[in-house]
Amino acid sequence: MADISAAPTRLTIGPGPWAVRTRRFGELARKVLSNPTTLIGFVIIVGLLAIALLAPVVTTPNVPDPYQMPRDWGARDAPPGTPGHPLGTTSTGGDVFYGVFWGARTSLQLSVIVVGITVTVGVIVGSLAGFIGGKVDEILMRTVDVLLAIPELIFALAIAAVLGPSFGNIIFALSVVFWVKYARIIRGQIIHVKQNEYVDAARVTGDSKFRIYLKDVLPNSVTPVMVQATMDMGGIVLTAATLSFIGLAQAGLVEWGVLVSDGQAGISAGKWWASTFPGLMIFLWALAFNLVGDGLRDVLDPRTEDR
Amino acid sequence: MTAVDARAPVDPGNTAGRSVITLRGVEKHFPIKEGALQRVVGQVRAVDGVSFEVRPGETLGLVGESGCGKTTLGRCISGLVRPTGGGIYFRLSDEDAATLDEIEAIPVDSRTPDQAGRIRAIDSRHRIGSMGGQAWRTYRRNCQVVFQDSFSSLNPRQLVKDIVGRPLKVYKEASGAALTDAVVSLLESVGLGRQHLFRYPHQFSGGQRQRISIARALALDPEFIVLDEPTSALDVSVQAQILNLLHELQEERGLTYLFISHDLGVVRLMSDRISVMYLGQVAEQGTAEELFVDSRHPYTQALVAANPDINAEPDEEMKGLEGTVPDPANPPEGCRFHTRCPVATPICGWEVDDAVAWLNAHEQLLDALVDVERRSAFDATLVFSGAEAATAVVAALENGTAPEPMRAALAEFSADDHKVNVRFTPVRPVELLPIGGERYTNCVLYSPQDVVVHH
Amino acid sequence: MTAAASAASKQATAPLVASVQDLQVHFQSKAGALHAVDGVSFDIRDGETLGLVGETGCGKSVTARSFMRLVQSPPGVYAGGRIDFWSNEARQTGAGPVDLLSVSDAEMLDIRGDRIAMIFQDPGKALNPALSIRSQIAEVFYQHRSEELLAPLGPDAPRIVRRAARLRTTGLERLLLRLPPLRKDAARLRTQVDNMVAAALAETQIANPRKIMDSYPHELSGGMKQRVLIAQALACNPDLLIADEPTTALDVTIQARILELIAELQQRHQTSVLYISHDLSLVREICDRVAVMYAGRIAEIGTTDDVFSNPGHPYTRGLMRAVPSAHHERGRLAAIKGNVPELIDPTPSCRFSTRCPYAVELCHTVDPRLISLGDNHGVVCFAHDSAIDLGVRPEELPTFSRRTS
Repeated sequence: MADISAAPTRLTIGPGPWAVRTRRFGELARKVLSNPTTLIGFVIIVGLLAIALLAPVVTTPNVPDPYQMPRDWGARDAPPGTPGHPLGTTSTGGDVFYGVFWGARTSLQLSVIVVGITVTVGVIVGSLAGFIGGKVDEILMRTVDVLLAIPELIFALAIAAVLGPSFGNIIFALSVVFWVKYARIIRGQIIHVKQNEYVDAARVTGDSKFRIYLKDVLPNSVTPVMVQATMDMGGIVLTAATLSFIGLAQAGLVEWGVLVSDGQAGISAGKWWASTFPGLMIFLWALAFNLVGDGLRDVLDPRTEDR
Repeated sequence: MTAVDARAPVDPGNTAGRSVITLRGVEKHFPIKEGALQRVVGQVRAVDGVSFEVRPGETLGLVGESGCGKTTLGRCISGLVRPTGGGIYFRLSDEDAATLDEIEAIPVDSRTPDQAGRIRAIDSRHRIGSMGGQAWRTYRRNCQVVFQDSFSSLNPRQLVKDIVGRPLKVYKEASGAALTDAVVSLLESVGLGRQHLFRYPHQFSGGQRQRISIARALALDPEFIVLDEPTSALDVSVQAQILNLLHELQEERGLTYLFISHDLGVVRLMSDRISVMYLGQVAEQGTAEELFVDSRHPYTQALVAANPDINAEPDEEMKGLEGTVPDPANPPEGCRFHTRCPVATPICGWEVDDAVAWLNAHEQLLDALVDVERRSAFDATLVFSGAEAATAVVAALENGTAPEPMRAALAEFSADDHKVNVRFTPVRPVELLPIGGERYTNCVLYSPQDVVVHH
Repeated sequence: MTAAASAASKQATAPLVASVQDLQVHFQSKAGALHAVDGVSFDIRDGETLGLVGETGCGKSVTARSFMRLVQSPPGVYAGGRIDFWSNEARQTGAGPVDLLSVSDAEMLDIRGDRIAMIFQDPGKALNPALSIRSQIAEVFYQHRSEELLAPLGPDAPRIVRRAARLRTTGLERLLLRLPPLRKDAARLRTQVDNMVAAALAETQIANPRKIMDSYPHELSGGMKQRVLIAQALACNPDLLIADEPTTALDVTIQARILELIAELQQRHQTSVLYISHDLSLVREICDRVAVMYAGRIAEIGTTDDVFSNPGHPYTRGLMRAVPSAHHERGRLAAIKGNVPELIDPTPSCRFSTRCPYAVELCHTVDPRLISLGDNHGVVCFAHDSAIDLGVRPEELPTFSRRTS
């Protein structure tokens, strides 16, 4: 650090606040991506997003609903390389290539919606519990404890089964199950962050509780949530695939879990392609977000970040 | 909002005849909770009856060892925690203080409605926690804090401009370019500059971060700043820079400081008057000069003797104290320092716990001790496993292997087979009393304490 | 303490215990090599207390840890120099010193805790919270004093008990030790361990050692924990004790008692002490000689008396004037301006030149050397180098007076 008393009083203001903030973000991004495994994860994610984006370009969307698998009854169980069906077809004539591309869109929508809902609900509940404390904390957290005691997958399965097979119900079931984790994480963080002297300093200036929460407490508490959310982007697709694999999504939906399920009967007969390609996509999706989540955790860890 | 709206009930410009902060018997007890039902099983008496005042423009040093309650007291004064007893008053006039003295001497039940009303009126204008909104805002603006840990006291996600400018924003004092200019001039007043505006706290060294904290505390142009060990995390050469800065700012702005520290050298350098705290209470108070050159309380003397000093005579040896600081959840009777005091007298508060602690040093006797049946803090039956141990204890109490003042404080002791009855002369808690000039002490050697309870 | 008188006599005659020569410890980072210790040399003589004093990041702790090879590697690298160490035994048999930086790990294990012991800054962190005080001190005896542990069992102690005295037993053997034929021997071994642990604790004036033995660290106060650590460190009667700020975490009244204790034990056992501290006033009270470190190098070294009454280095002078004193009235201190320089791949220069009010061109470009100011007093500053004209005479450097503007 430069000698402050000897530093010339420059009248230039240097980079403005926005430049500083974007530079900080840039530094962070560079740090995250400097880890080779994180970089691999990031590249896979970019690839998967490209697939989702290019789906309407490289395939002809099915009408009226592009998320309904087009059937080519004339080419059932066609192996990969068949003209018009580069990755083959299923036993019901569904195009695996179409499924892989449009399935990426389904997965993206699914994970963004579920993560969006669960993070919002979780952060609100966890914040109320952690910041207000006392009785509110007691009631909210005991509720959370009860929900956490039920295994995630079984809980989601039960909800989806009760509501009937539909993709919307899967989204709902996953949202009900996944917010609890975030509430837990954010509450723990807030209780920890609340003890920092900068929170006391803000109280001494006379700032309102809500503004202290917004400016001091929340921004310093969210990083573990961001890490968890990144990982859940992968985990949710995996869980949803499980649910649709056992038939909780409507039939014919272009979703990787449904495709794996459709193709599994043929595997023993040597028709490996119908399950393998969508299965590989699920694997890549879950892996990529986990890799990036891990990298984020290393860099965003408050203990290593600011020193 | 304009500055006129934020005027204090007492004209802030006129500082004659009023204090900045007045403490009247302040207590802060933390409950100890246990078990599944979180039952309260005891109280940690972090601050236990502290009274003093801070006069305009002075620096009052608050010194003591870890766990003496100085930081908790600082947090009470800055309004961060609510005291559980007593009152903290802001800008209390001498006249009002006299009124409080007069009325509070009367028991609550026998006060007239008029007297109760006068107390309420004073509380609503001056007492922290009971103030009206306007008075509270005035106090909030005028009482700021600089914390010890400059790493935890600055929000790592805010830019220096936002940290220092925040108080101004809260009170809508400035915005836009005016805010930036105000922040720059604050930074310049603490030796930083415009080039530091858009940086994050982690980009600064410890000393610079403490400068940022000081700039933030100065933003609302307060009258009073609580400095809670502001330099204890810094190296000496940097500490000197910060202490000098605090000095200059006080001179320029007529600030009043409460300077909390465990470092005697630093407190001496910074303070006009000093309060020495021990186990939640003030043991001695006086001008800095008096306290160091001619300390009266044995604890103050022990602190000074134990403090390594670069200017001490070469043959002057550091002397420590025996024992450890007692548990603040169960403080000693009488004078709290008597358990470690080298010059303790029989009326210092000897009690059953002291007898047990003395047994601690005698392995066989302690092993033989089965039970202590307490009738009060001063009266108990010690039950031993055998009659020999009981005889040995009585012998030790008689012939003087037990400390002399403790033996003299025994009103009665007798062996009854394997039991020993001990009863000490009960004493009252000591009080902080004046001993001339600005000096106060709670030591029975100097102030005429009425401590012995006569039957 | 009559530090000055005893120091002078010790200086002249006492044999060497350790000699650090041009020690260099670097830390590798992305930005380059951080020269944490950059050519440090000093001697420790038998029975003396040498103080190593300086501010955060000056390299004093890294120097101390190098004695025990405790610098974490990576990123730490011993980039040069040696630390010669003469144990009492080596001195008596006339054997030469060992270089602590190049001995094998097995030899280091034997030296560590036995011939050289260390007390750390934070007694709370240096003790294992899950183990009783007894087992933490007993560890040292099992490691270094197994023969002594077996003494009451006579020369023909069973093999399994011998292994137990070295903590080398397997699970099955431990079971056998509980069964009749071996049970008695095992009990005698345990009694001997307890006796030795109690004796070690009693050395540190702990009132009720047998009771303390059974307690766990969280049940003890800070001062008590530090006593336990001292007992552990001195259990094997080491030739050199390294004390790394052992009282920084303690209150002054406790600190004074602990220092008295260390001084007393040191005298009784004729142990040499390397005392690391940031506190000048403390070092002045307890050390025979003192080395002032700045930015990885020694700035000044000499007897405590010489250094404090006649400091030669501008940094020493500045530092001494920056220390607040209870003897000093309200007012200002003379602060050293600026901050410690970056130590990544530094170029030759006096490290203090960036903050020194007397620095000239030469100071920024050439490494100064140690200039002797007397028998036991050396300063690393060009102002004292008669071969170089700095434009400022040594006597023109500011004197040690506290009164400034």
